[in-house]
Amino acid sequence: MLGTLLAGTATLPLLPVARAGAADSGPANPGSSKDSAISSGNLQDPGDQTSCDYWRYCAIDGSLCSCYGGTVTSCPPGLEMSPITWIGTCHNPADERNYIISYNDCCGGVAQGRCACQRNEGDRPVVRPQNNNEITWCFQTKSQSYTCTVAIILGVALDQKK
Amino acid sequence: MRKHAGLAVCLVALSLPRLALASTSEFPNPLPPDTGARTTVLPEKYPSGWAFLNFPYNRIELRNVGADSREVKGELQGHDSTNLLMATGRPEIYVLDTVWSRGSRGVRTDFITVYDTKTLDATGEIVLPAPRALVSPMSGTFMFTDHERLGLVFNFRPATSVTVVDLVKRKVLSEIEIPGCSLAYPTGERGFSTLCGSGTLLSIRLGPDGKALARSESKKFNDLDQDPLFTESSAIGGVQYFPTMLGRIQPIDMSSDEPKILPAWSLLNAEDTAGQWRPSGWQTITTDDHNTLYVLMQPGAHEGTHKDPGTEIWAFDATTQKRQRRLRLVRPGATIAMTRGSDALLLVQADDRVDVYDPLNGALVRSVGIVGLSNHMMIQPVR
Repeated sequence: MLGTLLAGTATLPLLPVARAGAADSGPANPGSSKDSAISSGNLQDPGDQTSCDYWRYCAIDGSLCSCYGGTVTSCPPGLEMSPITWIGTCHNPADERNYIISYNDCCGGVAQGRCACQRNEGDRPVVRPQNNNEITWCFQTKSQSYTCTVAIILGVALDQKK
Repeated sequence: MRKHAGLAVCLVALSLPRLALASTSEFPNPLPPDTGARTTVLPEKYPSGWAFLNFPYNRIELRNVGADSREVKGELQGHDSTNLLMATGRPEIYVLDTVWSRGSRGVRTDFITVYDTKTLDATGEIVLPAPRALVSPMSGTFMFTDHERLGLVFNFRPATSVTVVDLVKRKVLSEIEIPGCSLAYPTGERGFSTLCGSGTLLSIRLGPDGKALARSESKKFNDLDQDPLFTESSAIGGVQYFPTMLGRIQPIDMSSDEPKILPAWSLLNAEDTAGQWRPSGWQTITTDDHNTLYVLMQPGAHEGTHKDPGTEIWAFDATTQKRQRRLRLVRPGATIAMTRGSDALLLVQADDRVDVYDPLNGALVRSVGIVGLSNHMMIQPVR
C-alpha cells in the first residue's frame, strides 16, 4: 500500500528512510526513561508526543526528539535534520483519517536511548529500504550519527482504508 | 529500645576480638604477595558454550553462557551498528565499526579492526573508503566469502554497493555496485548473492582480485508486498533457510556460483494458520548439526508484530519439513541462536536475559541476566 501511495504523490520525498540506533527496550511501547509529557493542545491531534503510543509514531523505530529538547516536528538544538526520510502511513484516531508521516532523523547529537520506541506497522525488510525502519537515514547532513526522529505530517493519504 | 540497643553494642564489642582471634589462629600465616600479575589470555579454541553478545552501539561482549558461572570472558569496542565475524581457519576476529573524530561530530571513519583470538589485542585495521550501512545489526551486512579470505561489507549511501576486503592481506580490493539490492550472502566458492527490491536474487561471482567476474539474476520469488523473506537466515550444508513473514521457509542453495531457489514450504498446518502463528523477532531462525531448523514463532500475529518477541520455538526437520517439537519459552524472546557441538544449547535473548535451553527437550538450563541487553541484538555463538 505504501508503495502505491508514494508512487501517486509527487511531492513526497523519493527515498525513504529510517532511524536506527538507540537501544530500544521493547517491542511496542517501551517508553524508556520517559519523564515528561507534551500535548499539541489540539483536539484533532491527540496524545502525548513523548509517548510511543502517540498516533504519528505508528512506524517509528528510534528515539523521540520530543524527549531531547526538540518537538514532534523539529530537531533538538544543535542537531541537523536529514532531508531524506522514511515514510509511514498512520491513522489519526481523532478525525479518523490516514496521514502520510515523514520520519526525519536528527543527526549529530547525543543519543542515549531516552524515549526509545519501536512500532512496525507497514515495516518491511531492508531489502525494500523505503519501507524499512532499521536504517539510520542521516544523509546530506554533516554527521551521520543518529540521535532522534521527528514525525511530520506530509498530507492526507490517498488511500483512506484502515 | 534503648536496652536492646545497648545489648547489641555490647555483643558486637565482645564478638569482634573473638572473631579476630579465631581468624588469626586458624590462619597464622598471611597471604603471600601475588606474583605473575598479567593480562588474561584466552584459549586458542574457545569452548563451545561461549557466545558473542553484540550491543551494537556500545560493545561486543564475550560471555560464557554454557556454564553456571556465566562469566564475561572479554569485551571488544563497538560504537555504531557494530558487526563481528570470527574466523575458523586462523586465530582472528573482525569487528566492523564506524566512529566520528569528535564523538558524534567530525570526520567519519568506517573500519574493520582485526583482533587476535587469544589476546584480544587489536593487531590490525582496515579503513574502508565507502560509507557502510548504518543499520541495526543483521546478517548480510558483514560476511565472509572465499573460505574466509574475503570480507563483504554492505554499503548504503543510500545507493547500495558491497566493498570486498582481503582480510588476510588487510586491504580493500573493490567496490561492487548492486543497484536496487541489499545485503550480501556468501555464494559459491568466491562470490555473494544479494536480495533485490524487485523480488529477485542477484548473484555475483568474484575473481581472486575481488573484482566482479559474472552476474546472474534469479526470477522473482520474494513477495515483498505480501510475504517477504526475513533477512535473517540459517544454513545447513550450503542451503540457506529464510523464514517469511507469513510463515513459510524459503530455502536457497547457495553452494554454487548460480544459486538455486528451492521450493518454499509452509511451517503451518490449518490449526496454526487459524491461530495466526507466524515467525517473529529479530534473529528468528537457527540450525543445529542434525539437520534441524529452529524458528521463533508468535501466536495471534498481525501487521506490525513481526519484530515482537515470540513465545515458542518450533523445530523442523529440514529435509522432511515436518515439525518435530514445539518448545515453549519461559518468557518471550526476540533473538535465538545455537551453540555448536554435541552439547549444543539454544540461546534466547528475552528482554535483559539470555535464557539457555536444551534444544532437545526445551528445558530451561539457566537464565543469565545481563544489564543493557535488549531486542535488536545479535547473539553469535563462537565457531
